Amino acid sequence: MTPDPSPDAPRPSPAEALAAFEAPARAALARAGALGIVAALLWPVQAYAVAASVHLWAVGTWNPVPGLWLVALFVTAGAARALLEARAGGIAHRAAEALMAAERERLIAAEAARVDRGTNSAAFAALLTQKLPLMVPYLVRYRPAFLRATVVPLTLVALTLPVSWAVALVLLVAIPLIPLFQALVGIAARDASAKQMDEIADLNGLLSERLSALPDLHLLDAGGRALSGFAVRAEALRRRTMAVLRVAFLSSTVLEFFSALGVALVAVYVGFNMLDWIGFGDWGQALTLAQGIFVLMLAPEVFQPLREVSAAWHDKATAEAVARDLAEVHADPGPRALGAGARAAPLPGPATLRVSGASVLRGAEKVPLPDMALSPGQAVALTGSSGTGKSSALLAIAGLVPVAAGRIEVAGRVLDDATADAWRARLAWVPQRVHVPDATLAEALDPRGTGADPAEALAAARAGAVVAGLPEGLATRLGENGAGVSGGEARRLMLARALLARPDVVLADEPTADLDAATAAAVRAALRRLAEGGALVIVATHDPVLVREMDRIVPMPGAARAA
Amino acid sequence: MRPLADTLRLVMAAAPGAMLLGTLLSVLVLVMGAALLGLSGWFITATGMAAMAGAVFDVFTPSSGIRFLAVGRAGARYGERLATHDATLRALAALRVDLMRRQLARGFEAMARARAPLALTRITADVDALDGVALRLALPVVAALVTHAFAFVALGWLTTWATAGAVVVFYVAGGGFVLLWLARRAARPSVAGERAAQALRRGAVDMLRGQEDLLVYGRLAEARAALVAQGDEADAAARAVDAAERRAGAWLAFAVTLAAGAALALGGWAVSAGGIGAAEAAIGVFVALALSETLQPLRRGMAELGRMRDAAGRVLAREEDGAETRAAVPDRPGAARLSVEGLGFRRPGALRAVVEGLSFDVRAGETLALTAPSGGGKSTVLGMIAGVLDPTSGTVRLDGRDIVAFDGDLRARVTLVPQRAALVGGSIRENLHLADPGAEEADLWRALEAVALAARVRALGGLDGTLGEGGSGLSGGEARRLVLARGLLRRPRVLLLDEPTEGLDEATAERVLKGLRAALPEAAIVTASHRVAETRSADRVLALGAADGGAGPG
Repeated sequence: MTPDPSPDAPRPSPAEALAAFEAPARAALARAGALGIVAALLWPVQAYAVAASVHLWAVGTWNPVPGLWLVALFVTAGAARALLEARAGGIAHRAAEALMAAERERLIAAEAARVDRGTNSAAFAALLTQKLPLMVPYLVRYRPAFLRATVVPLTLVALTLPVSWAVALVLLVAIPLIPLFQALVGIAARDASAKQMDEIADLNGLLSERLSALPDLHLLDAGGRALSGFAVRAEALRRRTMAVLRVAFLSSTVLEFFSALGVALVAVYVGFNMLDWIGFGDWGQALTLAQGIFVLMLAPEVFQPLREVSAAWHDKATAEAVARDLAEVHADPGPRALGAGARAAPLPGPATLRVSGASVLRGAEKVPLPDMALSPGQAVALTGSSGTGKSSALLAIAGLVPVAAGRIEVAGRVLDDATADAWRARLAWVPQRVHVPDATLAEALDPRGTGADPAEALAAARAGAVVAGLPEGLATRLGENGAGVSGGEARRLMLARALLARPDVVLADEPTADLDAATAAAVRAALRRLAEGGALVIVATHDPVLVREMDRIVPMPGAARAA
Repeated sequence: MRPLADTLRLVMAAAPGAMLLGTLLSVLVLVMGAALLGLSGWFITATGMAAMAGAVFDVFTPSSGIRFLAVGRAGARYGERLATHDATLRALAALRVDLMRRQLARGFEAMARARAPLALTRITADVDALDGVALRLALPVVAALVTHAFAFVALGWLTTWATAGAVVVFYVAGGGFVLLWLARRAARPSVAGERAAQALRRGAVDMLRGQEDLLVYGRLAEARAALVAQGDEADAAARAVDAAERRAGAWLAFAVTLAAGAALALGGWAVSAGGIGAAEAAIGVFVALALSETLQPLRRGMAELGRMRDAAGRVLAREEDGAETRAAVPDRPGAARLSVEGLGFRRPGALRAVVEGLSFDVRAGETLALTAPSGGGKSTVLGMIAGVLDPTSGTVRLDGRDIVAFDGDLRARVTLVPQRAALVGGSIRENLHLADPGAEEADLWRALEAVALAARVRALGGLDGTLGEGGSGLSGGEARRLVLARGLLRRPRVLLLDEPTEGLDEATAERVLKGLRAALPEAAIVTASHRVAETRSADRVLALGAADGGAGPG
């Protein structure tokens, strides 16, 4: 469990959020960066081998013995560089992975208990499986590149200094120019890249929404319109994105232009200096060919780390956006369900229920609950027109939403975090919106894993025929929203699940909706039997027949908008 | 590989110009990069030698060449980035539109299956994976091969054919081998990683949707732990892909080193043998180094090859269930408006028919309520009348004409409001306009009045009031009524309503049913009903199962 941050704490900026997020991995990333720096500094060794070889060629004294040794030096240094870079990447990846795993666990914990539906399930899934992984490129690419950029360019410039102060000066002047231009263009690019991300997410959101509406669009003969509408929207997105990219790519082009210009300047200077056309910049003697080749080979590598940072710039902007999203999720944990939702020994004592002066929040709306004192064996109907909070009342009684005021007592104890799991161990639940988990029907019917034979419960809920009609009977996976069975069938299965649990308390939300008259009658009889067997049965319903068959009617006080 | 090739064709066709331009500019960038380094190396070496010999040397032509290549390359790079991204964005849209078209062509039942969030996320993830087929795979491969062909000829001509051969062997054969190894090695974990990510997503959705059940039955803690384990599995796959990619990266870097090393060694021999000059030999070394740019962009694409192939196989799956078209049964003049004769439906392989030998007529202005126990075939009958399900026997006639003969025109005459109808995010107006884009403001309000939703819409801010994704923001009963209003706007001659007043209280249900009839006085309305409100307001009630001669069990 994560500690709740104070709700009044100021929201951190995206950069701050990112810094906080990556803090645990900082040491490992620094190590990866250091290895990368060592790898980059092997380049001068290779440059030396090439310069020396070319010198031997030019003076006409190349022989296999010193010549091939230089080749061996070149190849060995290259191999070492490749190995070190791979090693550095591995360290960075592992650090990033650990960070991701920890954050995933935190997110899962935060969302599992949250009950205000502040995030929908799809948004949560997207955060977990799509947005969070976007942090990886930043950690693995940008961070080490940034470290390299702070050390490597200056070190290489220092290596050119003994050869020619003019070359060092040219490079030294070019280095700060690059971040300067980068910053100028980059600011525009960052906003742009964040926008582009949102747009692509939008396009995918639109795609999945349209796909899910496709059967309806087909029935409304709107399939063709939806296609062209989609194409128009995608085209608009492309235009907007391209406008953004034209600016964004300028930043890397500026970099490339300057690094190319820097290299070209060095090459021309070296050539002119060797010919003694430019007399300044050396240490009293014109550059030799070997020196010329050496500085020429170092020049592009001075800019390389800066270019890598630039290429990963987008990763940083993306990571900041994700860090901000994560910080927002954690900043407002929202109302939480009572208890942990773990298995617990049932709360002892008779299953009584007392609600006094209680109300719950539904968004900003305050929903007052009716006062009631109920005892085992009673069958109670909560009534009221749509929107008066019947379902909210059932949720509160099950400890699935906390009360905003007043109290609920169950089996003689206050319903709170300490008692909720134990209270729920005595409950059965027939939800209005059926969610069939990704499991076999047998598992779905017996969520507590008691191993009880469901035949009797299925018969009582008139669901035996439903199971018999499924391809694999109880071993069938029904999938999302009970696809494969009709609404009425799914509801009968949920009732069978409740009966199988042999509960002391049954909470049922519109248990007869979607059912034909005969089945509805059977469901009513099953609920009555449960009450006669000593269970406390509470139904939220506007089915007048069901209401009539209950012992008590508790009308909802009616919703009042919170000020 | 076939689906991947099909994807590539589709993507190429979406933006042939941008693709071609992108490829050409990619080659230009690579070639100019190699030329820049090669020319620089030659220039320095030649100048150095001239200085040693005290000879006259024209420095201006090569140095202006260097400047031109440097600036030109930066420009070409900018153009290449723009062209390839433009092509990618076009391809992205084309892929998605194509996907929707495929779904539309696959028949009603396939569409209904694909609407489950699970199926949806898989589809979007697959399309996302395919976005890289051109930009990360095909285009860099082509650009690299073309560049190496250029380089081989240029090096052979300027240096020695041995140097040119060595460079091409280390790059194309060596680099190619490493990349293919990577593709093979990463295929399994990249597919497994995607599966694990899907499972994680499914688990996350499952946990939040089933949260209440999980809490009540004390399973939430377990579900949480299972989700964390699922994430770890995805991580393990990602780790395997990353390890393969890094190993391949190291080998590629080594291949570059070997190519340049070979140029260094062969150059030495060639120079000492007097075959070429030192400046020419330098070109070999520098070009060999510069060509490393051809390999770098291929790593990512190769690591994702397995995943792309997997995704392409699903996205471009052939439309399998386009049911064969039935022949229309001849007209029967003077028949009732809607007439159903001997209608039957049996799922393939099922022992029991869902519907059998069903016959009834519905006149204009008449309302028929079909009743049956849940699962009794009411929705199936409506689907067959709407022409989205093909009956296994019997015919449906409209004005004496077999509905098969209406082909596309059937939609204009018959409207089915299914039990699980979807709204889309956007304004209420947009949702209603789906039914009739030409509907006027007044028409929309009339339809909303008819379903007793006008007051609620006014409270939401009128027709421009917006709904969230999938129509969130309305209660279940309100969404139901908005869907009914949408059906009304089609002004159909036959209106088919599957449990139209589900989730509405008795009084509202009656109002809505009256409103529907008043709005379409001439239409034949068939409802699938089990509510008293619905059967009471119907002119006739037909119990399925009792329809085939009245001997049904009821």
